[in-house]
Amino acid sequence: MIGSMRTLAALAALLVGGTSLAYAQSTEVNVYSYREPGLIQPLLDTFAKETGIKANVLFAGDGLIERVEAEGELSPVDVILTVDIGNLANAKERGVSQPIGSPALERVPEAYRDPEGNWVALSLRARVFYASKDRVTETALSYEDIAKPEWKGRLCTRPGDHVYNIGLIANRIAVWGLDATREWLGKVRDNLAFPPNGNDRAQVKSILEGTCDLAIGNTYYMGLMLNNEAEPEQKDWAAAARIIYPDADGAGTQVNVSGAILAKYAPNKENGEKLIEFLLSDAAQQIYANGNYEYPVVPGVKASDLVESWGALNANKTPLTDVASHRAEAAALVDELKFNEGAQN
Amino acid sequence: MNSSSTRAPRTRRAAIVTTAIEHQKSKTGSGRPLPVAAYLLVLIMGLPILWLGWAAIGAALGGDNGLAANMLPTALRETAVLMLWVGAITGVLGLLSAWLVTHFDFPGRRVLEWALILPLAVPTYLAAYCYVEFLDFTGPVQQLVRFLTGATTLQDYWFPTIKSPSGAAFVLSMVLYPYVYAACRTFFLMQSASIDSAARTLGASGWRTFFTVTLPLSRPAIVVGVTLAMMEVVNDLGAVQYFGVNSLTAVIYTTWINRSNFGGAAQLAVTIVLVIALLIFTEQRARRNRVYSTHRDSTVPPAHLKLSTGLGWLATTFCTALLLAGFGLPFAELTWLASRSITPETLAMTAAAAVTTLELALAGALVAVGIGLLAAKLSAPRASRSAKGAVRLAALGYAIPGTVLALGLLQPLGQADLWINRLTMALAEWRPGLILSGSVAALLYVYAIRFLALSHSTLDAAMRKRGDTMLDAGRVLGVKGFALLWRVDLPTLSPALLAAGTLVFVEIVKELPATLLLRPLGVETLATLVYARANVSLFAEASLPALGIVVVGLIPVLLSTHFSQRPS
Repeated sequence: MIGSMRTLAALAALLVGGTSLAYAQSTEVNVYSYREPGLIQPLLDTFAKETGIKANVLFAGDGLIERVEAEGELSPVDVILTVDIGNLANAKERGVSQPIGSPALERVPEAYRDPEGNWVALSLRARVFYASKDRVTETALSYEDIAKPEWKGRLCTRPGDHVYNIGLIANRIAVWGLDATREWLGKVRDNLAFPPNGNDRAQVKSILEGTCDLAIGNTYYMGLMLNNEAEPEQKDWAAAARIIYPDADGAGTQVNVSGAILAKYAPNKENGEKLIEFLLSDAAQQIYANGNYEYPVVPGVKASDLVESWGALNANKTPLTDVASHRAEAAALVDELKFNEGAQN
Repeated sequence: MNSSSTRAPRTRRAAIVTTAIEHQKSKTGSGRPLPVAAYLLVLIMGLPILWLGWAAIGAALGGDNGLAANMLPTALRETAVLMLWVGAITGVLGLLSAWLVTHFDFPGRRVLEWALILPLAVPTYLAAYCYVEFLDFTGPVQQLVRFLTGATTLQDYWFPTIKSPSGAAFVLSMVLYPYVYAACRTFFLMQSASIDSAARTLGASGWRTFFTVTLPLSRPAIVVGVTLAMMEVVNDLGAVQYFGVNSLTAVIYTTWINRSNFGGAAQLAVTIVLVIALLIFTEQRARRNRVYSTHRDSTVPPAHLKLSTGLGWLATTFCTALLLAGFGLPFAELTWLASRSITPETLAMTAAAAVTTLELALAGALVAVGIGLLAAKLSAPRASRSAKGAVRLAALGYAIPGTVLALGLLQPLGQADLWINRLTMALAEWRPGLILSGSVAALLYVYAIRFLALSHSTLDAAMRKRGDTMLDAGRVLGVKGFALLWRVDLPTLSPALLAAGTLVFVEIVKELPATLLLRPLGVETLATLVYARANVSLFAEASLPALGIVVVGLIPVLLSTHFSQRPS
């Protein structure tokens, strides 16, 4: 009987827990994070130590922006930490963000923040080629190269409509225009070794398997796999591949971001702005760089040694807002070309 | 859950009392409020579908059809192909194994007969993760192949790709065949042995009897089992995503999550509901044609024919292989991975998720059983035809994929929260915040929709078996309304209530797609934890919570075999 009473009490606590954030005090800030606890928690702990502002963080997966939108004006969230220009731009389009009123935004190059200040990048990640150490001899490749017939049956990537690939395709549309990108993407599709599936890490595994020679993926996954103590097998996967920065000698490699959004109905707006300022400080940027093998977004802060060892990053200069404006076209291309069904010719 | 329930014969005296009471009722008109409650139930349970239909039409009228039109042909084709393959494989395997264990005697039959339903404890997404771990390039099988042949990459040898549509069909079939097995086995046990004996007496061989008598007669049972298996295929999200199959559920998910296109997702969701309606329609038709007649005295279970040693061991091997593929392998794989990954972190992570899961499942079971009891009362034998129809409609949620239900609930719940807050602000200057959409209320709601059929059918069957004599006795003694429920229904139905609660509890523990999309932010259940880890290629880290799900899933399987070793 006592046991069941306790369960009921726990249930009540759970029910109330879902709404308790709405009553956060002014010494707190409410954060929704798409990013993993391992990376974010140390940053928030340091923030609390420095400012006395306690961060209540909820780690969530897919559909974060949709959630905040559905919560509407009742949403308790102040700051949303997410990845990809797609999600950042989407937050603005859906009207769940507001301008961040902080001079700290100036620390970030213009290409990596919203002109109205509705979002700001916190770190950079390059979308690169993972090349098989055994079966790929090229040391430099352009985006055009992977559409050539010699790569037939040798390419692999995660599904075309994943935000990371939509970002890449949208970047190509911004650079080349829609028609040229359509032609390119069709050829890339026909070079695919198998219909796209899995995530970026899974593509590296395919390189190890020998089913794929060249994969498209984000830089930091290589770092995470090379140092994966929890699943050491992944070190073997990563050891099978090396990184090639696409277009390194040309217009540069497509770069995506992780970033922060100030929620439209943020109950603790000022604290939210303070948190974003903190995340743009040199110290926090260093944690981003070392903890997740990403590139710091603030010029002058160095990337980790491992990342530096992969070579210099020549980032494509197209502003991310330009890229974001082509996302719908990119998604339509993926559908139109039936990219996710794999090679057709 | 879908087996037909036979109406218990009423005693003559009870019938007289019943008639008297019904007569009295019709005079006072007290039976009338019931259909209203039944319609209300339909409305509440059908809200997500209605909302999606509305959104789909809205998107269509707004000229936003491009996405659905582009995605639909592929999604429909891949879903249909997967359903047909799973239907065919589970149909053949389920029927054959059920026929073997009920008609023949072979080594290990007694154990296999109950053990063959164990794969039901393994949710489809877990089976997918386990099989990929086992059969993928880095798994033990291919390692062995490479060790034996000296090969280094897949270019040196051939091995079937597990992450493919055919791999998905195979893996899903391995855990879904028990639906067909259970339906066919029950059918064979109920079926009179005399038909078989007659065929044999007339000189038909074992195989000939199978093809000319057993197979045609058991068609309704096969259809029921295969339909259930196919519904699981349509509902599945984790496995198809992992295998890279662009099925309807997977496409709905990406349309909504990756493209933020609610209208398009709603249109796809409406399509899926139509596919399911077609399935149910086919199943109902097949069941209507069920014309086998049995005289009570002749329902002697088939005699177990002794097989020759060779054939006997062949049957043993076949059934054991099925059991190993559907349960042994995933269970062993999970145990092995879990034993390697026990660290303070994984233990803490699992314990936290387990507590959340148990609380959710307990609350969900209470709600679903409560509504199930209400539904069973509304569709009681004496209820009007329209009330029964309405309850049947309300219980259809079991067939709708969790992804679709979640999609259809998010917006109306958010809207309701807004109204509630505006109301409380106007009345009391008080903002309660997100009451429905940001809390477990949303989850309890979706569980109630999805598992109402489970609790309702269990309670309905129990009420029919119990008959109305007790209620009538109570009424004659002057007990009515709520007191009748409290003093007669609850005590007499308690075993059924417990059974229904257990079934719902376990299904909630296994449930993935709806929980994934509707959970309050930060709430992690065992299933969502496993899903998240597997999708970043870190499944091994989540093998402990995965093992927990399977162990909980074993509860109803073991209970049901315990209670129904032999139907009387």
